[in-house]
Amino acid sequence: MSAIAVHQFAQCITCHAWSPDHSMIAFCPNNNEVHIHKLVEDKWERIHVLQKHDQIVSGIDWSIRSNRIVTVSHDRNSYVWNKEGADWMPTLVILRLNRAALCVQWSPRENKFAVGSGAKTVCICYYEQDNNWWVSKLIRKRHDSSVTSVAWHPNNILLATTSTDGKCRVFSTFIKGVDTRGSGTSSAGDTKFGEQIVQLDLSFCWAFGVKWSPSGKTLAYVGHNSMIYFVDEVGPAPSAQTVAFRDLPLRDVLFVSERMVIGVGFDCNPMVFAADERGLWSFLRFLGERKISSSGAKYGSQFSEAFGKLYGQSKHGISNDIGEASRSRGGIHENCINCIVPVKKEGQSTNTRFSTSGLDGKVVTWDLENQGDLSEYL
Amino acid sequence: ANTLRLYLTCIRNTLEAAMCLQNFPCQEVERHNKPEIELKTGPELLLNPVLICRNEAEKCLIETSINSLRISLKVKQTDELENILTKKFLRFLSMRAEAFQVLRRKPVQGYDISFLITNYHCEEMQKQKLIDFIVQFMEDIDKEISELKLSVNTRGRLVATEFLKQFI
Repeated sequence: MSAIAVHQFAQCITCHAWSPDHSMIAFCPNNNEVHIHKLVEDKWERIHVLQKHDQIVSGIDWSIRSNRIVTVSHDRNSYVWNKEGADWMPTLVILRLNRAALCVQWSPRENKFAVGSGAKTVCICYYEQDNNWWVSKLIRKRHDSSVTSVAWHPNNILLATTSTDGKCRVFSTFIKGVDTRGSGTSSAGDTKFGEQIVQLDLSFCWAFGVKWSPSGKTLAYVGHNSMIYFVDEVGPAPSAQTVAFRDLPLRDVLFVSERMVIGVGFDCNPMVFAADERGLWSFLRFLGERKISSSGAKYGSQFSEAFGKLYGQSKHGISNDIGEASRSRGGIHENCINCIVPVKKEGQSTNTRFSTSGLDGKVVTWDLENQGDLSEYL
Repeated sequence: ANTLRLYLTCIRNTLEAAMCLQNFPCQEVERHNKPEIELKTGPELLLNPVLICRNEAEKCLIETSINSLRISLKVKQTDELENILTKKFLRFLSMRAEAFQVLRRKPVQGYDISFLITNYHCEEMQKQKLIDFIVQFMEDIDKEISELKLSVNTRGRLVATEFLKQFI
């Protein structure tokens, strides 16, 4: 079993993020608050509740070095929270969005963060010292539909986005005064802000969950058509591989190493994808145990009995004594997993630990240490 | 009975694939969250509808979008009496749609009853149980209608017998 910790935090979790030392977790329990829990002697205690948003908080990210939390919500707002003493103080972010914000991520150097929105735009926010707030620059008129996921390249300039129009795009987010030109790759330094480097049109269905590999060489994203796409050499001549799998679509992915990707989604079970020596990606296996779903129901048919069944039918997980028709698909998670976050120490390029959270309200931490067949890919 | 099993298995498998819903705020109106299958605000957010027919009289239409799913059923009605009974019975259920949560108050044009399942239902309830409910509902509907028909005929016969006794 590779799941090392399971905890039920709420009825339903939208997204979660870990503190830099992994002693605290911040998550949204499917409402407009952000709860921060701390592990105190093997028990999780709620220490803070961040209440500033009016609608559901759709994205949380906790920066590792600067210890700041950024939250975005469906109410078009975003706040950056700084720890001052015992409390978290919010700082206003001028997002200039006119629709909901869907996802957020701190850049690798933590001087910027990117927000994807339902307004078909991406906001890149940076801190303006003079006014003590975060200002945004918008990437407009590039996406045809909501931007579902954003991911920063390790060079702090390139940003990959996925959208419900099925395309994955890579932009340059160079901001004068915040980023420095010259150091690192020359191609990234030459481009202007908002310039589209490449548009990947591989999926004919909605795209979610984009991530770069630790070195930035490979890009992975998923489509709702049960496919996962791997793109190498992102630039003028990218080479792409598509892996189709027979199960339900994925929602998010994570690069555990250069050659291994974990995908999570509607199957309630993390899926492992790995690249062999030649660089060909394929689906390896599920991480947790699987229960096979079986169908077949027994039923009585008296009028009143049927009515009682229709009204009191086991929709809420209480087993029906007449006959259980099918089992849940996944083992540990009972509902769709929609967020996967690495649990790693800063500076490491490979990590064997990650955590998943889902609509069942559980946060599960997984470790790949003792999975023998996967160790060659790490 | 054999075709019923196949029909229901097909519907169950389609629902397992179609019920992959997620929370999605409206792109047209700020701060709103609408079931996209009902309002159809963006064509890119809708998936292809699937029509599963058992025969000309019985079919099931499954339409999905990114945050909602609509299932419309047409129930077998072989004669006028079954027609009336089905309409009355399903209207009775539809009027109490709040109790069922996933039922739609009016069926889609051309069908007898419709369900509307949103991402909120999937968050509160288990997906497998929702699918079980729909399939169970379909199985029970046929039985209920035939029972209703039987009881109507029996009652008619009894009433007629009693009434005509006075003329003997």
